[in-house]
Amino acid sequence: MTRRLTAAAFIAALVALAGAERVLEQRASAQATVMAPRFEVDPLWPKPLPNHWVVGQAIGVTVDDQDHVWIVHRDNLLGANEAAASQDPPTASCCVKAPPVLEFDPAGTVVGSWGGPHEGYDWPNSNHGITVDYKGNVWIGGNEGNDAQVLKFTKAGKFIMQIGKPGQGKGSNDTENFGRAAKIFVDPKANEAYIADGYGNKRVVVIDADTGKFKRYWGAYGNKPDDTNLGPYDPKAPHAQQFRNPVHCADLSNDGLLYVCDRPNDRIQIFRPDGTFVKEVFVATNTLGDGSVWDIAFSKDPQQKYLYLADGKNEKIYIFDRASMEILTSFGDGGRQPGQWFAVHSIAVDSKGNIYTTETYEGRRLQKFVYKGLAPVTKKDQGTVWPGK
Amino acid sequence: MGNHWLLGSVTGLAVDAQDHIWVVHRGYDSFTARTEIGLATTPKTAEDCCLPAPFVLEFDSAGTLVNHWGGPGAGYDWPVSPGGIAVDGKGNVWITAAGPPEIPGSGNATPARAGGAGRAGGAGGGGGRANAAPPKPQDAHVLKFDKTGKFLLQIGKAGTVGANDSKDALNRPAGVAVDDAANEVYVADGFGNRRVVVFDATTGAYKRQWNGAGPEAPFASVTCVKLAKDGTVYVCDRGNNKVEAFDKTGKLLKQAVVSPTTKGSGSVWDVALSRDPQQQFLYVADGHDQKVFILRRETLETVGSFGDGGRYPGTFYAVGSVDVDSKGVVYTGENLEGKRVQKFVPKGAAR
Repeated sequence: MTRRLTAAAFIAALVALAGAERVLEQRASAQATVMAPRFEVDPLWPKPLPNHWVVGQAIGVTVDDQDHVWIVHRDNLLGANEAAASQDPPTASCCVKAPPVLEFDPAGTVVGSWGGPHEGYDWPNSNHGITVDYKGNVWIGGNEGNDAQVLKFTKAGKFIMQIGKPGQGKGSNDTENFGRAAKIFVDPKANEAYIADGYGNKRVVVIDADTGKFKRYWGAYGNKPDDTNLGPYDPKAPHAQQFRNPVHCADLSNDGLLYVCDRPNDRIQIFRPDGTFVKEVFVATNTLGDGSVWDIAFSKDPQQKYLYLADGKNEKIYIFDRASMEILTSFGDGGRQPGQWFAVHSIAVDSKGNIYTTETYEGRRLQKFVYKGLAPVTKKDQGTVWPGK
Repeated sequence: MGNHWLLGSVTGLAVDAQDHIWVVHRGYDSFTARTEIGLATTPKTAEDCCLPAPFVLEFDSAGTLVNHWGGPGAGYDWPVSPGGIAVDGKGNVWITAAGPPEIPGSGNATPARAGGAGRAGGAGGGGGRANAAPPKPQDAHVLKFDKTGKFLLQIGKAGTVGANDSKDALNRPAGVAVDDAANEVYVADGFGNRRVVVFDATTGAYKRQWNGAGPEAPFASVTCVKLAKDGTVYVCDRGNNKVEAFDKTGKLLKQAVVSPTTKGSGSVWDVALSRDPQQQFLYVADGHDQKVFILRRETLETVGSFGDGGRYPGTFYAVGSVDVDSKGVVYTGENLEGKRVQKFVPKGAAR
């Protein structure tokens, strides 16, 4: 009896195992058919900068409608050893601080440069984020303690508008100033600018892109923003009902969903343009300090099927299926060689689907990742994507 | 390198007889704990990146990491900060204990760096580890290991700082070279002292020294020492922007100023000799002008240079180490926030 039962159990177990194996095989084949954009670093892009120029913390990147790549960097933080030729007197033949705004053509040649303090506007103490809008104007934020303004220029660097005044920020319910704004996105349909606000405030602000007039703003989950100090992020704690600083991006998709980088909370919150909360997605939730959700960009197909997320703490870019917001794969790793990052801070995509990244802290580079078409996903973490690998 | 390992500030690079590239770097203390090495802090602050690589790394000529070791162990004082590295004819590996770099205006000294991030061991360090530990004794010694990292010999002792006339103690030696035939080791001593000092390579016994290019021309700093096949001893006198050539007794043979207008930390950070039989060329790593100069060895005249400042391939930040393999390939190491090893392929002689 016992033996018969044992035999029956054994057969049952075999059947169960065979079934499990089939399920595993099916899963494996389903995984093999998952497709995602594939990228390779272009180690020779951009071309060497002219004039012995060096770049400081590269704190924003954007692509215009001619596929020119624009960056903003912190020239003011370049030290005496690195920018030795910018000292008075110079202590070496190299190097010179490049102007804070640089424009590269698609071949990687610098074709424009400007920026910095000037009469008529308040250049940020710590510039942060750059966006070329659909009219071809250039927006720049700032994240130093006093920075409460957003600036708008022509592509040639001619001043157009300043919204907010340095030192005048009054918190997350101020309707005239920002609190250390991180990034700007301009919605061509409504001619509205979305401001990720920011390092001081805990909100998204929507303004008229021509007049700068505040239209609406909201906090996490669409709540009224509250500047109470939340303390450090704790992955085990209940989800914070407010953003943590910095609120680092606010980008609108073609189908009208606003993706907000709640960086230290390791989450993307998704809203309708009126501030209605839709859902949230958590990423690498054991990431402490700087957090995992730094900046996003959409793939260039009209449906924007994929969303790219730059994680400057784990040093990778995640590729999401935007409809499900599932991570399909990721690429990159930490390091100073091509295709690696230290603090990958900002991300943008050109019309051909190529990705551009900039790195802050001591990364200090603009890098290009060439779009190689869709490919089956074979690895969750691809590591450094060198050509021909 | 795998394992999400990061290279820290590179202080030394040497190519051995098999054309393997040996690299020593400053490890944990050269990283910004809060932002750069989230897997090495307590608690961890990242899920996937990154960790300091081991201090000593051996790459084959294809660039694959084939061995690694280094760090504190029994019987010797691992440096606060390693300096130069050399591989002798028997395959033994020599490393100097050079102390942290003192480069004015470097990232190490910029309080605003990393957006308020601290450095382990410095003000505001986020990692906790080095902050909590008492300061280590000052680097004042040279270490010898076999190629697998087994300890063989220590000359000098951490915390026992010797003056320029000491016969058994050093002060932040920067570079080292071995004369295999004579079984002598030459030490560039260095960042603290201002001399070249020669010891027995097996016993570490003091043999001789010299303190400059003559009584009227003391060294301003001694950041490298290299030996040519013909017995000429080359010294980096970084603070004087000078390469100086001596015989093995310290008699000055030749000297040349490289990049005379360079101020700050100086132009002559490291020197390497080409591997052709005549060793026709000297390569000078200039971590302040961010380039590598090429000198004709016979005359010490500068005949060319390559490189520029930057974080991109072929550009440098604080290029402080240089060596050449048997095929003429030049390898460079970058200190401070450069943190890279790069390879430059020879394209034949050109005008």
